[in-house]
Formats: sequence, C-alpha cells, structure tokens
Amino acid sequence: MLTTSIEPSDAPLIELRGLAKTYEAGGVQIAALRPTNLVVRSGSFLTVMGPSGSGKSTLLNLFGLLIRPTGGRYLLKGKEVSQLDDDATSAVRCHMIGMVFQSFNLLSHLTILENVCVPMQYARIPRTKMRRRARELLDQFGLGDRYKSRPTQLSGGQCQRVAIARALANDPPVILADEPTGNLDEKTGQEVLQIFQELHRVGKTIIMVTHNPIYRKYATQTVTIHDGRAVEG
Amino acid sequence: MRPLEMTVTVYASLTRHLIRSLLATLGIVLGIAAVVAMLAIGEGGRREALRQIESQGVDNIILHSIKPSEGNVQQSSRSFTQRYGITQADFDHVRNVFVNVRLLVPVMDVRRDILVGQQTTDIEAVATIPEFLDATRCRLVDRRSRFIKPTDGKVLDPVCVVGVKAARKLFGHLDPLGKTVVIGNVSFRVIGLMESPGGGRLAGQFEFNNIVCMPIETARSLWGGVTFRMGRGIAEQVDYDFLYIAAKEIDAIPGTAGRLRAYLKAAHTQADYEVQVPYELMQSARKTRRIFTIVMTSIAAISLLVGGIGIMNIMLANIFERTREIGVRRALGARKRDILFQFLAESVLLTTIGGGLGVGLGIGTASVAETVSRMGGDAGLTAVVTTESIVVALAVSVITGITFGTHPAWKAAQLDPLTALRHE
Repeated sequence: MLTTSIEPSDAPLIELRGLAKTYEAGGVQIAALRPTNLVVRSGSFLTVMGPSGSGKSTLLNLFGLLIRPTGGRYLLKGKEVSQLDDDATSAVRCHMIGMVFQSFNLLSHLTILENVCVPMQYARIPRTKMRRRARELLDQFGLGDRYKSRPTQLSGGQCQRVAIARALANDPPVILADEPTGNLDEKTGQEVLQIFQELHRVGKTIIMVTHNPIYRKYATQTVTIHDGRAVEG
Repeated sequence: MRPLEMTVTVYASLTRHLIRSLLATLGIVLGIAAVVAMLAIGEGGRREALRQIESQGVDNIILHSIKPSEGNVQQSSRSFTQRYGITQADFDHVRNVFVNVRLLVPVMDVRRDILVGQQTTDIEAVATIPEFLDATRCRLVDRRSRFIKPTDGKVLDPVCVVGVKAARKLFGHLDPLGKTVVIGNVSFRVIGLMESPGGGRLAGQFEFNNIVCMPIETARSLWGGVTFRMGRGIAEQVDYDFLYIAAKEIDAIPGTAGRLRAYLKAAHTQADYEVQVPYELMQSARKTRRIFTIVMTSIAAISLLVGGIGIMNIMLANIFERTREIGVRRALGARKRDILFQFLAESVLLTTIGGGLGVGLGIGTASVAETVSRMGGDAGLTAVVTTESIVVALAVSVITGITFGTHPAWKAAQLDPLTALRHE
C-alpha cells in the first residue's frame, strides 16, 4: 500500500563501531556519546530511549549525518559515511535517509505539495514525476484534498503526516524520527505511530527517538542511553 | 537542483514578503532610473547637437561678419560710414593663398524687406553664387526647380530661389514656381524651391528654409557692390556677411582653420568676424560626451553601490530569519552549493526586477522631462532611449546582484546544518 516494499534482510544496514561524539566547552571535554557499537538490520524498528540530555539526539544526529563523530566508524550499507565530504554527505541524506522532526519543520511559505517535493528537488527528479510522486504520497496519508494548503492551515497531526510523506519522497531505506509524537496529543500521536508501524511493515528501517516507554512494544530493537552510554535492550 | 526548480523556489521565497522585496530593490530602482533617464536626455542632446553641427556641413569653415560693439563704433567712426566684417581682400586672400579649399562661397545679406501684401516678414534675402547649394547641403525640392546659374546675374530678369518655409509664407499652398517675390521694391521671379534636410541655419543664424537666394551679381547691380544700411545716422559697409569655405578633405580642416584665424587676426584691427568650424564643434561635442559619460558612470556607480548595500543588508536579514529553513533544506539533502545558488539567485532576481522597474521609471522620467521642457513652446530637451542603455542597465543590475549577493549567500551555505536546524 505504501512505498515499494524492501525485503527484510540479515545484512546489517547500519553498523556503528565505537562511534563516539565529544564536545568541547570551555576547555572541558564532554562526552555526548561514549564509544558505541550497534548493528541495525534492514527492516528493523529501533527505538532510542533515555532521559533528556542523555545523548539520544546526538545519536540520531550522527545517524542523520548532521554532525560528525569524534571517534569510531559509521557504516551505512557497509560503506563508511561519517568522513565523507559535504557533497557526498548531502547525497546520503538525500537518498538514503528520511528525517521526521518533533516540530515538523515544514517550510511555511510553501504548499504541502511543494514541501513534499523539496527532497526530490535536491535529487534532481523531473518536475512532472516529482509532483506526481508527491501527490501519491499525500493521497496515501489522507491529504489528497489539501495539496495547496499551507502548513499553517493544517492540524499538528496533518503536519506530521506531511513531514512523513516528505521523508519518504526519495524512497530512502532509513527513516529517522526525533520524538515524532512529542508535539501531538495522545490520540494523534497514536495515529502517527501507526503510520510508522505501517512503514516498518512494508520494510522501512525506522530509528525513532522517544522518551515514551510505551513505544518500546512496537520496536524490534531498543537502545537506552544514560549519560552518553548506549546500552541495547 | 534543476534550474526550473531553482526558479520556482526563488520566486516562492521572494513573493513571501513581496512588499519587503520591492522596498529592498528601491535603491537599485532609483539608481537605474536616474542612469537611464540621464543617458536618454544626454543621448538626445548629443544627437541634437550633432544634427545641428552636421547640418552646417562638417567639411565647412564658416566665416561671418559681426558688427563690433556700439562703444567701438562711435570711437572708430570719424566718417559716417562704419566699415566692418569680411572684406573683398579677405575673400581674395583665401581664394589665392589657401590650397585645401574645394569651394569658396560668399553670401551677402541684402538687408532688404520682403513683403507679403503690405506686411514685412522675417524672411531673409541673401545674395550668393551657384555653389551655395553644394556648400550648405541644401537641395532642390521640385523637379522643375533649378538653382541660380552664373548667367542669371547678367540678364535683366531678376530671379531667385526660395526656401520651403519662406515659400509657404509667401504663397501659401499655391505653386511658387514662376511667381514673383518683391525684395526691396524689385520683383524677382521664383525659379526654384530649396530645403535644408537637417533644418540647418546659415552660419547658425538664418534658417535655410526661410531665406530667398539671388545671384550676387544681381544684388550688386541693383544696390551697389557693398551694402549700406542707415542706423542712428551711421551707415554700415560690409563686403560679405558670410563666407563658406569647404575643405577638400576633413583632415585639412584644423590646419586651414588655424591659418585662417592667424590671417584674420593680423588683417583685422577689431573683432568684427567669427570663425565657425563645425568639425571642431563636433570634436568638442565628443569630448563633452566623454566627460558626461564619466560623470554618469560615477553617479551610476554611487547609486548602485548604495542600492547594492541595501540588497546585501536585506539578504543578510533574510538569511538570519530563514536560518531554520536552511537547516531543514540541508537535512533534506541540499548541498552547500544548492543553498549558495538559491540565495545568490534571490539577490540577482531582486536586482534584476529592480533594474527592470528602474528602466521603466527612467524612460518615464525622461519623457516627462522632455514634455515639461517643451511646455514653454521652445524646442526643449529631446530624450532618446537606446537599446544599448537598457541592456547595459539590466546587465549592471545583474552584476550588482551577484556582487552584493555573494557574501550573504556564501554565509548561508556555510551554516552548520544542525545549528541552523535548531535556530529559533
């Protein structure tokens, strides 16, 4: 029903080998993420849990190549991606990773159709094909009659569905979600979570940061972080 | 990002704050408008000056007699006759000594009234020789027309050639050929109709189209070899009022003019002549134009600098305001250069729109200036907008956009994706 189904595989999609991130503030080294080993197989639903400031977002930003690690390796489909140059990093973000944010991060001056098109613009998809794909995705998320609406005209749940559609635009194997239900009420949050479950069912690899322990039951794999130390399970 | 997508994206960003975007371009609009308007007026003035100069004949040196000031007259006039201007001796000297002269055409102002009914007119009667037509770039209008011939002055049948404007005044819409014009109580038969295509003037004074020409021999036989005119009890004696000296080639003009001036300075004790050299005027018009161009370029540079700084300012504010958008775009796969080009394209589009509006405003201003300057009924300014000036104005707008947009766009591209994404 949703996007092209990806066959579940035993091959590791993501492999972290001693991946670490240290910040320096006022001459003091702060370990945001201590050396972490982790294997995420294709088709997994990984939840990253832990209290605020524990390093969940740091791990997600490392997954999303928004920051560079200070140590260790990050293999995506067997290829080291943490030390690529800016163009190559952008290409990985464009084609391999879809991002969903807590605050949606839709561009308010664009229609929702145009918002969904943004990642495809950077993938240089021809305009007609791009708009057709965007319409298909919005149709799937029940927004078929709202193409021309602006994000400000939509409810929180609708905005998050647009954001998910945008994350899926280039059909990436990995979806990263940072507290995707954090800004939504419980009922809407549940609806959004169902979408992620559906995506997981069709083969997407989901990595979701949450501090809501209830979501653990949907996950095939959980990492808990305490004080920058990631522990599986 | 594909160019089409870039255009759509940039357009969407600019129309988001339409008024602000337009205000940001105001400096460019006014700068370009000032440049286009001034260029148009300058070009109009230049063409008008060149037309006037060329209508005198670029290869001519024109000498004309000037009556010395009144004070001079009384001091110098022991007799009742005041003699001044170009003399027969001057004429002979030029004819016998100057080598690079193709034509030497004397013109006398016969100073006789021409009447229409009982009314005097402003039509001037002059006496000259057949080469007049060649030297002054005038031409015959009617196929039956002819100019005066060397034999015309020798017969007792006074003939004349009439300028088109004079013909209208004298005969209205009737055919002037064969009709009679009365000049100082003598009837002249009209044998030709002539016009000056550039609307030129005889030594910059009498309009060629508003004169009547007769053979110099006719004038002499009717009114004597010299011209007398009574005024405050003093008679004036002028051999020739004008002398057209056509050079064999343009290059010989400066030398010939120099020798002529030197000769006249030595031969005349008073400033009773003027030497007009259209070629020199043309050279000085070119020089004036160069100065004008330098002044214009300076004004344009200053106004575009001001406009460009305005654009840079608004783009920097824009980028600060849209930092989060930049972060989102980077997170969704935009490369640094995608961001760079997006913001650069925005500033170039802004300045180009500003340039376009400026061109429109400039053309409008020039035409208003033209209309206002002509309100008094005088021949005022002429504004000529050239395609070249429009192309230059738009090109300069684009260059301004690139120059002042690069720094903000580069700054935007260098933003750290995560920091930008977290920007509130």
